[in-house]
Amino acid sequence: MNQMTDFSKTDTSPMLRVSDLTHRVRMETDTLTILQGVSLEINRGESVAIVGRSGSGKTTLLGLLAGLDTPSEGTVELDGARISDLSEDERAKLRASRVGFVFQSFQLLPAMTALENVMLPLELAGFEAPEKRARELLKRVGLGERLHHTPRQLSGGEQQRVAIARAFASDPVILFADEPTGNLDNRTGQAVSDLLMDLNREQGTTLVMVTHDERLAARCGRQLHIEAGVLTEPEATQELAH
Amino acid sequence: MEASKKLMSVRRDWRERDVRVVLVAIIIAVATVATIALFASQLQRTLVASATTFLAADRQLEAENGRPIPDAWMEEARSRGLETGRMVEFSTMVFGGEGFQLVSVKAVSNEYPLRGEIEVQTSAEAPRETVTSGPGPGEVWVNPRLLRLLELNIGDTLEVGKAKLDITRLLIREPDGGFRLSALAPRVMMHVDDVASTEVIQEGSRVEYIYLFAGETSALNEYYAWLQPQLEPSHEWEGVRDSETFSDSLERAERFLLLGGSLAVLLAAVAVAVASRQYAISQRDTVALLKTLGLPGHGISRLYLRRLALWGVVGIAGGLLVALPLFWLLVQTLSDLLGRPVDIHLDPNALAPALMTALVSLFAFAYPPVRRLRNVPAMRVLRSQPGETGREALPDIAIAVIAIFGLVWLYAREWSMVIALLGGLLLLLAALALVGWVMMAVLRRVRGGGNAWRLALVGLYRHRRASLAQMAVFAMTLMLAATLILVRSSLLDDWQAQLPDDAPNHFLINIAPEAVDDVESYWQSEGAPLDAVYPMVRGRLTELNGEPVKEAVTKDARVGALNRELNLTWMADLPDDNRIVEGEWFVDGQTQGVSVESELADQLGLQVGDRLTFTIGAQKVTEPVTSIRTVQWDSMKPNFYMAFPPGGGLADMPATWITSFYLDAGNKSALNEFSRQFPTVSVLEIDHIIERIQQIVGQVTSAIEAILALILAAAFVVMAAVVSATLRDRQREGALLRTLGGRQSLLVRSTMLEFALLGFFAGLIGALAAESAVYVLQSTLFEGTFRWHWQVIIPIPLVSALLLALFGRWQLGPVLSVSPMLLLRRLE
Repeated sequence: MNQMTDFSKTDTSPMLRVSDLTHRVRMETDTLTILQGVSLEINRGESVAIVGRSGSGKTTLLGLLAGLDTPSEGTVELDGARISDLSEDERAKLRASRVGFVFQSFQLLPAMTALENVMLPLELAGFEAPEKRARELLKRVGLGERLHHTPRQLSGGEQQRVAIARAFASDPVILFADEPTGNLDNRTGQAVSDLLMDLNREQGTTLVMVTHDERLAARCGRQLHIEAGVLTEPEATQELAH
Repeated sequence: MEASKKLMSVRRDWRERDVRVVLVAIIIAVATVATIALFASQLQRTLVASATTFLAADRQLEAENGRPIPDAWMEEARSRGLETGRMVEFSTMVFGGEGFQLVSVKAVSNEYPLRGEIEVQTSAEAPRETVTSGPGPGEVWVNPRLLRLLELNIGDTLEVGKAKLDITRLLIREPDGGFRLSALAPRVMMHVDDVASTEVIQEGSRVEYIYLFAGETSALNEYYAWLQPQLEPSHEWEGVRDSETFSDSLERAERFLLLGGSLAVLLAAVAVAVASRQYAISQRDTVALLKTLGLPGHGISRLYLRRLALWGVVGIAGGLLVALPLFWLLVQTLSDLLGRPVDIHLDPNALAPALMTALVSLFAFAYPPVRRLRNVPAMRVLRSQPGETGREALPDIAIAVIAIFGLVWLYAREWSMVIALLGGLLLLLAALALVGWVMMAVLRRVRGGGNAWRLALVGLYRHRRASLAQMAVFAMTLMLAATLILVRSSLLDDWQAQLPDDAPNHFLINIAPEAVDDVESYWQSEGAPLDAVYPMVRGRLTELNGEPVKEAVTKDARVGALNRELNLTWMADLPDDNRIVEGEWFVDGQTQGVSVESELADQLGLQVGDRLTFTIGAQKVTEPVTSIRTVQWDSMKPNFYMAFPPGGGLADMPATWITSFYLDAGNKSALNEFSRQFPTVSVLEIDHIIERIQQIVGQVTSAIEAILALILAAAFVVMAAVVSATLRDRQREGALLRTLGGRQSLLVRSTMLEFALLGFFAGLIGALAAESAVYVLQSTLFEGTFRWHWQVIIPIPLVSALLLALFGRWQLGPVLSVSPMLLLRRLE
């Protein structure tokens, strides 16, 4: 547990270090290898897009990087904490304090208002004055007037903006985004990705994004390609990274 | 409000459909159980209160030895806060007008009756009125027949022994006008203080002292515990439950109420289990998200546990809020039915099973699926994960089964009830497994197409898991409801059969042997033919296998029959409603042997072959027991503990004859002419007793019906909960089918067919399982005889098919009325 608290945003060690990550899923008759020997490092403040076709393994990789799941082999170190050594509850605590998420399907709690959805992670992480922070963030994403609307009363773009506000609410050191514009039309998607990139810059957050949208991927500092569970990195972005 | 607190808000929960279903199920469970328990307790009180009026008290102590009991006994009763009263009963000749007549006198104290009312008239033409105390000193109330026999009128004087008393009222009905053979002659009621001045009671006179007690049951029981060691064999302590005629009916009614309560518990449990499982499924995404946002597993468990506790509080409060007005309404109905106000009695003990039901429902049925929520992987936020295979739920089912039967046992305290229901449910599950297997095997081969039948069959196969689960719940619900309906109707049939409208309501006693033919032809000509006529010889059972019977029988077997003279008879044929349980009935020409009533045989430990010696007058008769038979005591026909063969042990004994018959109320005047023609024959009018029993049966019947209605309502809610659980899936499929070009009529037909098939099989399985449960219940608890109920087995599957088909059609409503596009978007 100590290792989790020893690091800060000014640290120069990589935010994410992955070595020899392999993930297999047992099916009814045989075992499917979804990820094969993935290794990578992501530095603090970097923005990285993982691009690949459907079924290439990118969402699985994102889940493993974020500590939502544990790999069959290999290690993931997030902000200095070895995820595979942590219990599920310790992983949850790590997520509460350091990780933010944006999902393709927004994942807002339908019975809560926009404000409450944003307050929730703040309360789980034990923030003081969560409502003040949630109001500020919702104002920042342009929903200052829609605080008390439930997801059902918001459009898709608005819902994703609430989700972005929620993701940044607890001041995470790293943000994982899974196809954040996948459920939105072009224009709305553009606006949402602008917001995401802007906030990411403002907050100095490390961003790891899974997408098949080449334009969105191009806005990230680094692009990683994944195909059939194998990760590759174009040389240009490799140089940028180091 | 903090957002995480909001996770715990009932108002927020209420916005979710599945929570509404869970809450409604708990509210219904608590409401049904509380209403039934409250009403059963009230009914029992009312019934016992109305039945105790048969004793004119809560308890009676009879001294049959002709001696009053010590004053100290009554003092003790009063010091324990009991109300007391006393009566003296004896037979004597009275004089009045020009004649004299043997009468049965009941002399009562001021307090009589402690329970119930006396019905009187001030003249033959005056309306009947009820009073709550007997005649004062110097007064006498008489049976109208006595006035006719003696040609007297109200206001005349009647000489009872040496006392001259004023006839002030006509005595129509006394609350404790039970079926006593000592009360053969017309009744005269007087004040107990006048008894001494009659000088009728001498040393050795045949007289009964009867003491009345009323008060709290606990005080009565404590008093009896104090009194019991001092009682002599000739003392008889009687409560309403000892009275053979009514105890059976009461007991069976009570059992029925308990059964109803148990079934309500089962239905409630099913509803809660179904709804909470549905709820747990719907919560998976939320849990995955909360985990992603950093809520640890124990936080999830705590969150949902607290939530369940909250539902429990709301469910219990809501249930009680529903139960109280419902209970009040039932009491009003009862009061209307009885034609008198009923004191509302809110028994706090009756609420315990309701609370217990709520807690067990929550923690044995709602909690297990919710408990597993903490195992939902956080990864679910990114990608839907395989759902539960059902194997995880196996321990839940075990917990549920144990909890269900624990509850039923706790509630009914009858193992046979638990076994009957458990057996029925097991059978049901076995049948379901078979149907499931057949369904898989047959339906797998069906290919889809434009035909409604094929679409319906494919639908059943495609939803096989949901279909089987729904079928299980429907079948279970139908089984429980059908069990209740079957037991109810057979219970009512039994009562009806025992007390048909033309049940004998008059007894003729003391018919001289030579008058039997004349008496028979008299009533034949009056259109009221007699039932069988039996000879009657009074005697005591004095020896058992040569040993004095009081020594031969253990002291515990304090049998009333040993303390008084028994009515012995002889008969060639076994009466229709008697049944031989051991030995053989007399064959033609047999003159040896005696047939003994089974309960008495049990109490005395008699077996076929034992030798019984009877003392009849100065003579002794010894016969072997050749058979043991059951007797319908509540048949209102002459019944005998001991029956001899014609020409057997009683052949030379002086006998009088006894019979019973049904006399229409409008034909009562025929009794006057009969009494004039046959002055020595005693007429015993028991029409009012029959009326009373029918009243009790009526009360119980309406209570049973009210409870049945409640349970059926609960069953309906269970079904609605189950069907609506899959509402979204079905609506989405319907919308898709329409989008893909399916015609509305095809959609309607295939859906209705699918539901009809589901309903038919569920109904069939449910009805068969109900039959087996009823078989066990009938043969153990309700002592009825079992027969197949085709009138239930056949319609239940048909009705359930029809109902479900209509339900399916109703569900399709939005699919048909809204554009598929709009619907699909709404269901997203």
